[in-house]
Order: sequence, then structure tokens, then C-alpha cells
Amino acid sequence: MILLPRGIPVKEKIDPGRINLPDALRKLRSGTFTGYLRFDATQLTGIIIFEQGRLISALCEEKGSRLTAYDAIARIFSASLAGGTNLDLFRLSSDLALSIHALLHGHLLYSGQEIKLIDIKSLLAQMKEDKLSGCLRIYTQEHIALIFYRAGDPLGFFHDGSTDLETTADTSLSVARLPGAKIDVLSTTADEEQILVDLMESADITKLWNSEVEKIASLRLQNEEAEQRSQVSMEKERRKKILQIFGTVAEAQLGKIGASLVEKEFEKIPVVDEEKLELFYASIAKSAKLVAGASRIEQMLDEMRRNARTLLNPR
Amino acid sequence: MENQSTIILALFWLAAGGISFYFSLGNARVWTSIAVGFFLILIGEIIPGALPFLPGLQDPYILTMGHIIGTIAILVMSHGFQEYYVFTRTLECEGRKSSVYIMVAAVLLSSLIFLLINPPPTPEMRKVVRIVENTNWVFLSLINIDLIRKIYINIKDSPISNGFLGFIGVFVCIFLWKGSQLYIDVYNLDVIKDQYPIRYQISYFCNFSGSLLSSLSVGGTFLYLAKLLR
Repeated sequence: MILLPRGIPVKEKIDPGRINLPDALRKLRSGTFTGYLRFDATQLTGIIIFEQGRLISALCEEKGSRLTAYDAIARIFSASLAGGTNLDLFRLSSDLALSIHALLHGHLLYSGQEIKLIDIKSLLAQMKEDKLSGCLRIYTQEHIALIFYRAGDPLGFFHDGSTDLETTADTSLSVARLPGAKIDVLSTTADEEQILVDLMESADITKLWNSEVEKIASLRLQNEEAEQRSQVSMEKERRKKILQIFGTVAEAQLGKIGASLVEKEFEKIPVVDEEKLELFYASIAKSAKLVAGASRIEQMLDEMRRNARTLLNPR
Repeated sequence: MENQSTIILALFWLAAGGISFYFSLGNARVWTSIAVGFFLILIGEIIPGALPFLPGLQDPYILTMGHIIGTIAILVMSHGFQEYYVFTRTLECEGRKSSVYIMVAAVLLSSLIFLLINPPPTPEMRKVVRIVENTNWVFLSLINIDLIRKIYINIKDSPISNGFLGFIGVFVCIFLWKGSQLYIDVYNLDVIKDQYPIRYQISYFCNFSGSLLSSLSVGGTFLYLAKLLR
């Protein structure tokens, strides 16, 4: 889970599987968009950051693993195509976009510390003394606030609804005061702040997207085939069971020839369903007339119908 | 005395024929051939043979036609048992009841036309036709006994298997009935009965009792089957 405050929402709750993401990213590029795209799936969070139309950062966290740059973009694409992913788009200022980029690629020094158990003053003093550049992330279940530092001095605050770094600490403090509030300490380096390659310029993301489309299509095909195989196997098992029961019922009513008649007529129905079974009952009744009376045949068919209903509709 | 016994015989065959024809109407197609075959015994042989007061009894065409119908009867029922045997082996059963009735009627009509376009039957010619008929009955009875035994083995534990034991009994009786008649005809025992009175008496007794028992066993077997199959 990547914890970031929401900027100014541009679009929310979009299904990225329904749009052509490379085209959408190109539009953001041509519109010199600054902000970030957040992709949320069940066990995956992806962030793509734009600064003045440049795709400067991509990050994807999934089950404790962390992918960056093209690997992250590819994974975000595949998760989007697989479905069940939500996309939100937030606008930010350039400074904030860069700060967030630096933050996402920084190092986590302390994680998930209960604020009420921390001596904040000492922590800040320590940061100042160490000339730490980075960020304090204060959060609860619903709210997040970031406090950016450079060389131990606070740069500004970022919280839900901000587009730029703010100088007032009100919101951040209000988050810190909430029950169960926690704090992470993250550090960034000067180098990380400088790496600002436009990922869309250095690689063909359409190719990346198409490759994921193919992978997903292939995976779906495999899943469909596996499902078909499973259905065939289930159908085989069900046929076997019904045949066995029908054989026993027919043998009890007509003798061994009854079981043989069942086997023969059962081969003629390709799929076992109510409709096909009615044809089977008609055929078996016709043949059974040669060796048994109507009442006995009716009794046999009733028993077969009862058993078939139980097997075809188990609930 | 002889008249009384032939009337009794006729009544039994009337009952047996009626039961078998009724049976043919309400059951599976294969049973139709068998039941129609037994019904034809009544039509072909018993009516002209056992009811002397019927008009036209002395008509050579009616008497000859009776023997031809008797021959067709054993062929039709043998065909039915063959089909039943094939069914017990392959579990395949095709055809329609109406086809059986139509085919039998067509064969009967063809035989009648054949008879009518040829010279009128003489007593000698009638005897030859009767020998042919009885020969068919004797040998096909033996073949049918074996066939029915096989059918019985194939459907031994089915509800109607005992009915086939009944048919074995029927054909044993028919064998006696028709075999003794064949014996009398081949050796002309009815002509030389004074020279061989015991042989003739035994043959005549076998013929009469065979016919009586056949009618009883046919009626009984079809009644038994009808009870099981309805």
C-alpha cells in the first residue's frame, strides 16, 4: 500500500481496463499534465507521476515486492487489463510532483510508528542534526499528511486536497491528533531528486501495452481452456455417476438386459441435461417394452428421474 | 365324439388366437410378428379343419389356402423370434407394427392369387402342400426351441423370462402335433391304418393332444405375458 495524500482530483474511479492507457498517457503528456495517477487493485498499488507532461516516475507495490520504471508500468498495464483495478487522477504542483517522486523512491527509515509513543520533538531535532532530506508521513485510515524536509529544515506540508506545498501545519497537525495516527520517516538523496528521465520518451509504452494485451489474452485463453477441461472432466464424472445409478435401477427392474439397454441408450446422449435425458427416457421406455410391462417401466423411469434431478441440481 | 373333440379344439384355438391377436395390438413391434404368427394358426388351419359346419369347407381352394396360411404362420412367428433374439444380442429394434400387418396381408394375398391363377387344387396336390406345411412346422419348431432357449438365457433375470419357457412348451406341443400329422401323411397311415392300427392310434392321439395342448399353452403363455407386459 502506497500512502499518498490526494491532490486535486481530476478523474476518479475509472476502470483502466476499459481505456487505452498508452493513448491516455500520451494525452496527459501533450497536455503537460502535472500530478499522479493512482492504480488500486486488491493486492496492488501503482503510481505514475507526471511533471510538466513528462512521465518521471512509475512505482508498483504488490505483496511486499516493489517494481519501478518500465517494470512498474508493465505491471500496472497488466493489472489494468486483468480488470478489477481502480484509477484516480490527481493534479499537483511541479514541486510537489517532484517531492512525491523523491519520496516514493526514497528509503523508509521508520515505518508505522504510533505517534503517541514517539517523542516528536526529539525526532525533529535528530533530523535537523542529521541534516535529513526526506519526509514525515503522518496517517490514519482515512487521512494522510506529508511534511517535507530538506537538509533538516521543513519545506512545507502536503495533505488531501492540496495542489502545492503549504506553509501552514494545521491539517498535518490535525491528522497527527487523530486517534491511531501513525508516522513513517522517509529519507531522499540529492541524486534521487535529480533523476528525471521522461520514461515515455525513452521507451515505446504502446509496445509495452500491446505485449501485456497479448499476455492477458493468452492467459485468458489458457484459463478458458483449463475451465473447459475442468468442465469436461466434471461432465465425465457426472455421466459416469448417472450411468452407474441408471444401470443399477434398470437392472433391478429389468434384469441384466436393462443395464445393457441403459449403457447403449446413454451413449446416444452427448451431454447430460434435463432435455437430453427426456430423449433417453423415451428410448429406454421403447426398448424396455420388449421385456417388461408399462407399470414396471414407469416405476423404473420415476426412480431414474428422481436420481437424475438430485445429481443435476444438487441444491 | 370326434365332432365334439374338434369343436372343443376349435374353441381352444379360437381363444388362443384371439388372445394372441389382442396381444399383438398393444405391445412392442417384435411381439407383433410372434403374436400374428400364432393368430394365423387359427385362421389357416383350425377354422376350416375344426369347424366342419362352416360353409365352403369342401372347397379345395379354401382347404389349400388353409395349409398355405399355416406355412406362413410358422414363418412369421419364426421371423419374430429371430428378431427378438437379435434384439437381446444387439439391443436394436426397428420397424413399425403396421409394416408387419401389411407385409403379412400382402404375402397372404400373393399366395391366394398364386393359387387362383393355377389349376384347381386336387386332393394329391393338397396333400403335398400339407406335407410342406408340416415339414416347415416340424423343423422350424425345433429351431425355434433352440432360439427361444438362447433368448431365455439372454434375458433370464428379466420380468418376462418365464414366458419364453412357456414358448418352449408351446413348440414342444406343436412339434408333437405337426410331427405326428407329417408322420401320418408321409406313410399314408390314414389309408393303411388297418394294417398299423397302433401306430395310427398313437399318431392320431399325438396329433389331437398336441393340438389341444398347443392351443392351451399358446393361450396361457400369451395371457401370462399380457399380464406382465401391461
